[in-house]
Amino acid sequence: MDATTAMYVSQAIHGIAYGMILFLIASGLNIIFGMMGVLNLAHASFFMLSGYFCYQVLKLTGNFWLALLIAPLVTAIFGIVVERVFLRRMHAFGHLGELMLTVGISLVILAGVKFFWGTESLPIPVPEALQGLIKIFGLEYPIYRLFVIGLSLVVLLLMVLVLYKTRLGMIVRAAVSDRDMVNALGINIPLVFMVVFGIGCWLAGIAGVAIAPILTVFPGLADQVGMDAFIVVVTGGIGSLGGAFIVAIIFGFLSSFGIQFVSQLAPVLMVGFMALVLIIRPHGLFGVEE
Amino acid sequence: MKDKITKISLWLMVAMFLLAYPKLFGMYYVNLFVTFMVFAVFSLSFNMLLGFTGLLSFGHAIFFGISGYGTALALRHIEGIPLFPAIGLGVLAAVILAVVLCPVVVRVTGTAFAMVHLAFGQLMYVLALKLRNITGGEDGIGNFPIPNVSLFGLFSFPLKNNPVNFYYFALVILGICTWLMWFFTKTPFGQIQVGIRDNTKRIDYLGFKVPESKSVIYVTSAFFAGVAGSIYGLFHNLVSADGSLNVLVSFTAITATLIGGIGSFFGPIWGTAIFQILEELTIRFTEQVELVTGIIMIIVIMYAPRGFTGFLATLKLKWQLSRAKRRG
Amino acid sequence: MYILETKDLNHDFSGLKVLFGVNLQVKHGERHAIIGPNGAGKTTLFNCITGTYKPSSGKVLFKGMDITGRTPHELTRMGIGRSFQITTIFMNLTVFQNVRLAVLSKRGIRFNLFRFVDKMKDITEETEEILRRVNLIEERDFPASALSYGKTRALEVALAFATDPELVLLDEFTAGMSRDETHAAVELVRKLTEGKTAVLIEHDMDVVFSLADRITVLHYGRIIASGTPEEVRSNQDVKDAYLGDLEV
Ligand SMILES: Nc1ncnc2c1ncn2[C@@H]1O[C@H](COP(=O)(O)OP(=O)(O)OP(=O)(O)O)[C@@H](O)[C@H]1O
Ligand SMILES: [Mg+2]
Repeated sequence: MDATTAMYVSQAIHGIAYGMILFLIASGLNIIFGMMGVLNLAHASFFMLSGYFCYQVLKLTGNFWLALLIAPLVTAIFGIVVERVFLRRMHAFGHLGELMLTVGISLVILAGVKFFWGTESLPIPVPEALQGLIKIFGLEYPIYRLFVIGLSLVVLLLMVLVLYKTRLGMIVRAAVSDRDMVNALGINIPLVFMVVFGIGCWLAGIAGVAIAPILTVFPGLADQVGMDAFIVVVTGGIGSLGGAFIVAIIFGFLSSFGIQFVSQLAPVLMVGFMALVLIIRPHGLFGVEE
Repeated sequence: MKDKITKISLWLMVAMFLLAYPKLFGMYYVNLFVTFMVFAVFSLSFNMLLGFTGLLSFGHAIFFGISGYGTALALRHIEGIPLFPAIGLGVLAAVILAVVLCPVVVRVTGTAFAMVHLAFGQLMYVLALKLRNITGGEDGIGNFPIPNVSLFGLFSFPLKNNPVNFYYFALVILGICTWLMWFFTKTPFGQIQVGIRDNTKRIDYLGFKVPESKSVIYVTSAFFAGVAGSIYGLFHNLVSADGSLNVLVSFTAITATLIGGIGSFFGPIWGTAIFQILEELTIRFTEQVELVTGIIMIIVIMYAPRGFTGFLATLKLKWQLSRAKRRG
Repeated sequence: MYILETKDLNHDFSGLKVLFGVNLQVKHGERHAIIGPNGAGKTTLFNCITGTYKPSSGKVLFKGMDITGRTPHELTRMGIGRSFQITTIFMNLTVFQNVRLAVLSKRGIRFNLFRFVDKMKDITEETEEILRRVNLIEERDFPASALSYGKTRALEVALAFATDPELVLLDEFTAGMSRDETHAAVELVRKLTEGKTAVLIEHDMDVVFSLADRITVLHYGRIIASGTPEEVRSNQDVKDAYLGDLEV
């Protein structure tokens, strides 16, 4: 295989890895949106926060696997507290108010992160077992990227299992397709909300830890990756998991190949793609009218 | 009749105060007031969308910023361009951007509208940083020439390094903008605008074209945001991504509008003033603008969703009620 | 010559068929009632006629002109007015401002940015004239959200008429009203429809028989009868399918 092909393949791997990360964040956003009807803008901050938790655990124990276990859990608990304290009490001006509230929360988290960890970007070493390259069919791949893809697939599989094989999953699916119906069924909504919110944040947390060794952790992380995830959600159709998956992968490619070919203008590609989709389908690729 | 006289004398007093302001207060407060006026107009233009049309934008700074850059670039690169055409070019850039975005913007509402603007805002910010040879990257465009204000050779006075002159200049321009935006809400079209916020379907069924109407509002809003942005650039003699295009600039408008109350035309003006005072006070304790903005947003939305003007309205109502009670 | 006609109108919601080849014919100047049980597709029929939905297939003709798939604002400008089963008014505006918007539209004042709307005397007068006709003048400056239920519905109907349409479609304008309110609403509609053509969806048989010149019965998305009240009343299919239940 020649050098160009190798380059394409390795860019594609990068694209898929980044796309899967975006999907993890976006799917959390979407299931929360499905339940509560609010796009949680603080979600990206939870994602970033998990990166910082990961840094902290590594600093204390030096064990990446422990960080991968603990950081998302702590993030989930943090998210649940935020939901309890703020989001649940909020009813003024409907969804626009909730949206603005979550912006306020994300700003406070940003300030907190800067206060505790400073504004420097903090390096997270790739765990030893995953360092280096691996050779498949005569091509070399960075092991860690493959691990990210694998991890995302496992989480994805878990999510599918929960969604399709458990009672909770059934309720969530029902809620995502028709919010009023769940209210009508008389299910213990606050509890379900809490669990779903926690799971959503946990997904963001996994993504946060997974991406930390690639991008390092810094206060702009939420803006940078979170923005891409929000664009994914809007383009795929707010609340649509399938839409988010397809668009996340497309964006992964746009991002990795974009940087390769039009590095300065790579961000234009995604926003341009979003604009195009929304002109043709105002509710996103797979979205339905609110 | 009596009402009218009170009203006119009240306005006269306000006008006199504004004229005398630079004589009464020091340079620091003169500059503070210019900042206040700029952001008041910017927030008013934002509330044209949120309060009067029900559209929440997380990226209103794109118009503020592009106009600032437009004016700065014009002054830097066009030899001998007078002041007003330079401002005009900046505002034109904002208007053109709005027109280009219209096809997307009129189709989406609610959450998607907000998110799309967040994305556009972020994109513009990143581009401003990256297209270094045009925008000067992180440094922005600074120290560009600022011509004297002159109108058909009738008069001419310098702005550069002259805060008091700049104060009067900004007062006139932004005062006119405020009046125009207020007038806008009072026209027949202003009624249609409120109708769109209240019930878009009925507006459609009454025979008005919703997308076209929204476009007009959107472009008008961009126009006024542009004027504010252009004046802001001139004021600092610097236009930079962080000063004019940062998402925090957009959030400033949101926060000010929330504090003031989205339901009233003058709300954003009150809100900008209060926000600025709060910032002045808190800046002594913390440099963290995000923290202050974030906490204010949370508190206002959770505990005072109608904002300052809503609070005033409640007070007035209570006062009227108690007066009515006393009368029996 | 019919003022409104639908030809083989079909509509489905992503697979769920709701209208099956509906051929509705409304004559000039008549009051035409559409009746049928809940879920028969009456509102969907209105939605297909007035541009809320584009019908899956079939045609809608207004004065012989094909208007299938036109948007609501185009149809309003052509002279079709509509009221909704679910109240669709401007809740945060005053009653006066509600109706004034309709008057502005009727006069073609749409992008006027150069005058104070409050100072446009002719507009104010015409609006007040309409408010008097629909007995809402006392509530002129109430916010619409503060109106009683009956008055809210009256405003809904007023908005449908305020653009002075040739043809109005009223979707259950008496829904949820008390006896007295219903009576007042019927008289109001009788007065307002003079010289116009009206299509009324209605469940209340007293209302139907007191207002309608002709009746069309819609049953599970199909027209099973259409004619004068007497014809419909004596129609066996209708008796079997519908009126029997209601003991008319
Ligand atoms: N937007 C929609 N999406 C899917 N199904 C719909 C939609 N609107 C209506 N339906 C279905 O179409 C059928 C007809 O509804 P429609 O509202 O036209 O009935 P209707 O005759 O007006 O009834 P009612 O007397 O209760 O107002 C119903 O079964 C309804 O559930
Ligand atoms: Mg109906």
